[in-house]
Amino acid sequence: MAKRKSLIKIKPKKYKVGDIVKVDFIVIHPMDTGMRKDKKTGKIIPAHYINDVQFFYNDQLVTKMVVWESVSTNPYFSINMKITEPGKIKVVYKDNQGEVNEKTKKVKPKKG
Amino acid sequence: MERRGFLKGLAGACALTAVGTPTLSLGADKKPKSPNEISYEKALEVITNGKGAKDSDKVHLVVPEIAENGAVVPVKVTVNHPMESNNYVKSIHILSTKNSNARCADIFLTPANGKAYFATRIKLGGTQEVVAVAELTDGTFIKAHKSVKVTIGGCG
Repeated sequence: MAKRKSLIKIKPKKYKVGDIVKVDFIVIHPMDTGMRKDKKTGKIIPAHYINDVQFFYNDQLVTKMVVWESVSTNPYFSINMKITEPGKIKVVYKDNQGEVNEKTKKVKPKKG
Repeated sequence: MERRGFLKGLAGACALTAVGTPTLSLGADKKPKSPNEISYEKALEVITNGKGAKDSDKVHLVVPEIAENGAVVPVKVTVNHPMESNNYVKSIHILSTKNSNARCADIFLTPANGKAYFATRIKLGGTQEVVAVAELTDGTFIKAHKSVKVTIGGCG
């Protein structure tokens, strides 16, 4: 299992319980469509793209995405989430070559 | 007369081969087909189960009018609809009209999202329309579309 660089960002930085926040997820991935040729060898680069992304908030599925190869290289996905309690956000992503990775981020709402 | 006819035929055959060869070589250079190839009309039919989608002001689609680079086109969708436990936006689908695989992303939301919003970046092979289709819990489909002018294609 290849390690991939990924990032979860919660916007804005300071949030309270009950707020609706923006959750950004970025992953470094080639997202090859299978239609492009390698310029040096002339061979077709096989398709390699993320096809499934799931957002969990405290082990509860919030959003599921089916992604196709038309999404750009190093994909960026942004959704909204309602903060109800402290805990963690987990993103599980799979690609068409069988790689499964995940990334977690702690949720720390401010009191008051 | 016979000789003239023969010459005419010869000239015609020459012209045909001259035209024929470049098209043949073009055919060999053709780009490989996408394994998930699906047209926009068919993708829309599959998503909406043949019901079709209505244009609506509720769906806000934000895309640039002119994209300099087709490989990175930011897309932002918001649906002005409540996200309550039994009345919410079930899914958002992002489609392009002329990409070989018209589907870009399908997002399945739940009431825990709080707001129907999604943003990503997609590739566009040329000047075309981006369509956002949203499914509501009552089974209706609404959509919005906007055209994007692409100066450099991103697929290939």
